[in-house]
Amino acid sequence: MHYLRISDAPIDVGEMYQQLVAPEYGGIDMFVGTVRQWTGKIETTKIEYSAYHSMAEKQLEKIAAPIEQQGGRVVVAHRTGQLVLSDIAVFVGVAAPHRAEAFKWCQYVIDTLKHEVPIWKKEYDTDKIRWGN
Amino acid sequence: MEVKIRLFAFLQDQLGPSITVEVTNPVRIKSLLNQISQQAPQLSSTLANSRLAVNQEFINDEEVILKVNDEIAIIPPVSGG
Repeated sequence: MHYLRISDAPIDVGEMYQQLVAPEYGGIDMFVGTVRQWTGKIETTKIEYSAYHSMAEKQLEKIAAPIEQQGGRVVVAHRTGQLVLSDIAVFVGVAAPHRAEAFKWCQYVIDTLKHEVPIWKKEYDTDKIRWGN
Repeated sequence: MEVKIRLFAFLQDQLGPSITVEVTNPVRIKSLLNQISQQAPQLSSTLANSRLAVNQEFINDEEVILKVNDEIAIIPPVSGG
């Protein structure tokens, strides 16, 4: 069973990892996205994330479903609210019988999330505020 | 017919959590976004890259039939992750 969460609550990697551990899996791939200070010459001080929660959860379900049908387990947690440098913004973990699927599916989930899930960042940079990328 | 459209992110910052728009079915999505751009020109580039969601599903067609009670939202380019 997958575990998908979009909330203001801080993300505990250990807790997320525990959701992925099961005897049928031999490979667990995890991606942790954190708040970065520098993007080229732009310096970020904090990021505020907002979401269209109900739709975002539905979109995550759609991303996770085909992986689960193929025998994997998907865990996604995304923060909303104000985050400071190095805070965890997103956790994506996929457990699979073998490493090849775990790597492939984990990358698929984070890449698809970035295009298809209605979550937005408001980036507070030292020169100005930027919405999105 | 008047419909309420939910807004998010930069669009919400500029116009508030929702707007009411007069539409006629079938609604061309590009025309709807243009209509809002005309009222708020500072949003035109964001709107040009936005998608429409009805009842929490992206609409990938050019046109859509809207009903009064549909949950309609404009989704500006997403930036999670």
